[in-house]
Amino acid sequence: MKKLIIIPAYNEEANIEKTVTAIQRDAKDFDYVIINDCSIDRTREICEEHGYNIVNLPINLGIGGAVQTGYKYARKHEYDMAVQVDGDGQHDPEFLNIMAEYIEKNQVDMVIGSRFIEKKGFQSSTARRVGIKFFSWLIKGLTGATITDPTSGLRMAGRNVIALFARDYPKDYPEPESVVAVLRKGMTVREIPVVMHEREGGVSSISPKKSVYYMVKVTLAILIERIRKY
Amino acid sequence: MNIRIQIIVGIVVILALVVIVNMIRQKKLELRYALSWLCVGIAVLVLDCFPQLITWLSWKVGIASPVNMLFFFGFCFSLIIIFVLTIAMSRMSIRIKELAQELALFEKEKKEADN
Repeated sequence: MKKLIIIPAYNEEANIEKTVTAIQRDAKDFDYVIINDCSIDRTREICEEHGYNIVNLPINLGIGGAVQTGYKYARKHEYDMAVQVDGDGQHDPEFLNIMAEYIEKNQVDMVIGSRFIEKKGFQSSTARRVGIKFFSWLIKGLTGATITDPTSGLRMAGRNVIALFARDYPKDYPEPESVVAVLRKGMTVREIPVVMHEREGGVSSISPKKSVYYMVKVTLAILIERIRKY
Repeated sequence: MNIRIQIIVGIVVILALVVIVNMIRQKKLELRYALSWLCVGIAVLVLDCFPQLITWLSWKVGIASPVNMLFFFGFCFSLIIIFVLTIAMSRMSIRIKELAQELALFEKEKKEADN
């Protein structure tokens, strides 16, 4: 089984070494690829000095476009599984092995790491939990599937989902929307309990000002995803 | 409408048409996208030469004041052009994204082949 970790990086000169070292230590069965989203700091130089596996985008595409490049890479090199890991230290690499095992054993198309099954670790703020509950309820109503943590960034994709995401992936705030796309394709999605940490560095991409845009955009995207023709 | 404003409008429109055609000639503007602007220019020129057409047309569509009809149609036309441009822009941004991704992956492959 070929397994790939996708690391989107935009101006991550401070974190990229730590992230890659942690992956090489804790997720030995995984290959990794850094997608440098046209960083304007020394991300590229640092990676090339260390001989890291890096793909350099010629223009800044934003998070969705960068991650999609990773899925395209995974499809091109015929990986069986791909997972996105950000450089902010929220996700424990130890869960990657558990998720990969789960996919292999149960033959599902996608596994999501959910904070809200065992309710351990960092549980996010109340406001965010309300938003997440809303998306969870919306997805349940539209597809019938129970997804307790649709905004989780810890998601491992099997071959079918890699192919789908390589073809079509949202530009920004992709998590809830792409779960619905996967479900609509008739693929199987399962959740397993994980523990997440509070982020170590950097800030969330969803500031209070952007949260209104986030809620509206993601809600609309989910609704449109539901009525899309395949 | 008096003859003076008719002449001024006529000159401005002809100048605009010349600029547009010249830009198409220099390949700064694609004929595809300039076509609608050329059509507007010609339509305005025709109405400028025969202002009684406006009165006749507004009476036909049932708008009391000819000026209102001009504003209304002008507004609708602007909206259509803007919308068409939004469609073109969305398509382009998708294409640019695909190109950038392919280029990055291709460059990566080439580098690996070179080593």
